Amino acid sequence: MVGLGLRRDIAEEILDNRILTPDFLEFAPENWMGMGGAWRRVMERAVDLYPISCHGLSLSLGSPEEIDWAFVRELKGFLDDNQVKIYSEHLSYTKSKNAHLYDLLPIPFRQDAIDHVVDRIRRVQDVLERPLAIENVSYYTPVAAEMDEIEFVSEIVDRANCNLLLDVNNVFVNAFNHKYDAKEFIGKLPLERVAYIHMAGHEQVEPDLIIDTHGQPIIDPVYELFEWTIQKMNPVPVLLERDYNFEDLEQIQGELTKIKSILKRHWEVNHASA
Amino acid sequence: MHLHKETIAIQEQLGEYCRTGEEQELPGITPGRMHHYHRLISNVVNDTLHTAFPITVAALEKSQWEELVQVFFSEGIPQTPQVWKLPFEFYQYHAGRETGKRMDLPFLDDLLYFEWMEIEIHTMPDRPYPDFVSEGDLFQDTLVFNPEYEIIGLDYPVHTHPLSEALHMKGDHFALLYRLPESGHVQFMALSALNVYIINRLQEEKVALKDIKHEFARVAGIESGRYLDDALAKYLGDLLERKMILGFKKE
Repeated sequence: MVGLGLRRDIAEEILDNRILTPDFLEFAPENWMGMGGAWRRVMERAVDLYPISCHGLSLSLGSPEEIDWAFVRELKGFLDDNQVKIYSEHLSYTKSKNAHLYDLLPIPFRQDAIDHVVDRIRRVQDVLERPLAIENVSYYTPVAAEMDEIEFVSEIVDRANCNLLLDVNNVFVNAFNHKYDAKEFIGKLPLERVAYIHMAGHEQVEPDLIIDTHGQPIIDPVYELFEWTIQKMNPVPVLLERDYNFEDLEQIQGELTKIKSILKRHWEVNHASA
Repeated sequence: MHLHKETIAIQEQLGEYCRTGEEQELPGITPGRMHHYHRLISNVVNDTLHTAFPITVAALEKSQWEELVQVFFSEGIPQTPQVWKLPFEFYQYHAGRETGKRMDLPFLDDLLYFEWMEIEIHTMPDRPYPDFVSEGDLFQDTLVFNPEYEIIGLDYPVHTHPLSEALHMKGDHFALLYRLPESGHVQFMALSALNVYIINRLQEEKVALKDIKHEFARVAGIESGRYLDDALAKYLGDLLERKMILGFKKE
């Protein structure tokens, strides 16, 4: 299954014109919760036509503030109402001093932060009554790290008993930005916990810095890393993230097709021979 | 709480930097990278507010708009986890601090409020539609109103006049904003106080126009007769045509 993010700019192309033909759709619950009118009808049609996964933006698993439980309860209703198969969130924080910041800040890779995040993931999972898939986020600088990213991510997934959303592009971006080996990183991840994969494009803004933009086509080295990765794990849904630059829909459809062909090459063959 | 005070302080320093852009001494960072967080977060906030308030952006000097955004994001405490609701907090923040008065932009609160209400009406949760029939009599039958509307009061008629003119027209102004049933598009129209009175009475009391016509004439201080009937028929017929009135109550 290869999905695409449901953005308002391309909703018509997906739902009416069928120019883009994903197998499932993903949306950010924050962008649709509590909404009525025309956009609610779009969302309802999407739910009628496609399996849905949700990718949260503002749970802020890593921030010092208490979780916004009213939001989590509302979120649970939304996930239940829309028969959401997978709910994922970022291993980051988006809230500081009780103010939402609307972007993903890196959590310090520290033991106390692990303890904090593990506890919060568990409690969120209890309220949502479903497992959370946490995403390895891209980051542009570590902050006050006392361990490696791989130790940080792995221990959280293990102790929180949650799933992992493996963002292959983020691994590529982080490996480039922080000069580590992407395959070595992925090889150390608990791949048996991966419930979902994200693929995306990015933008190199400086000789030694890539920004995870979701606005450009996926580059070949990311496809190669993806193909290498999926051979080491069981089949899971894969999502193409594209947040803007929707002018060339054929190009985006081409990315969906390419991801599918890579999956077919490995997962369907293995499945048939199993 | 598992987090140590030091970790909390570091996280808050990073958050503070992202909001204000003021340099912070943070341990273990890669030099030259921090500014990207401030830039990316500023872009999200700027884009969200710029898109929400196109008339305000066009009306203000660039520096005035930038000041509004910068002050709000560095000093305000955005509470909503849903970024599309941020424009409402932006309006509330500046209205609560009388920013418009301080910046000599007396219409600012009204303009931000009106632009926010267009978003609010477009996106607000669906309200149940009552049963109605299309055929009926504007005077004799109980009218069924589109439930998805709000009437707002403004000090300046920012919805009907160029701001340079609205500025000199302080008073009691009203705007009706409502959502069209099929498309979900938002429509608005200016209302007089008497228009507001009629809609409120007919909608809230669920009475027919014939039952309040004389009362209305008394309130308006005009004679109840043919002239009033014609004016009311024209006004309500217009609301019917524009789908603010959906039809007539099923008897």
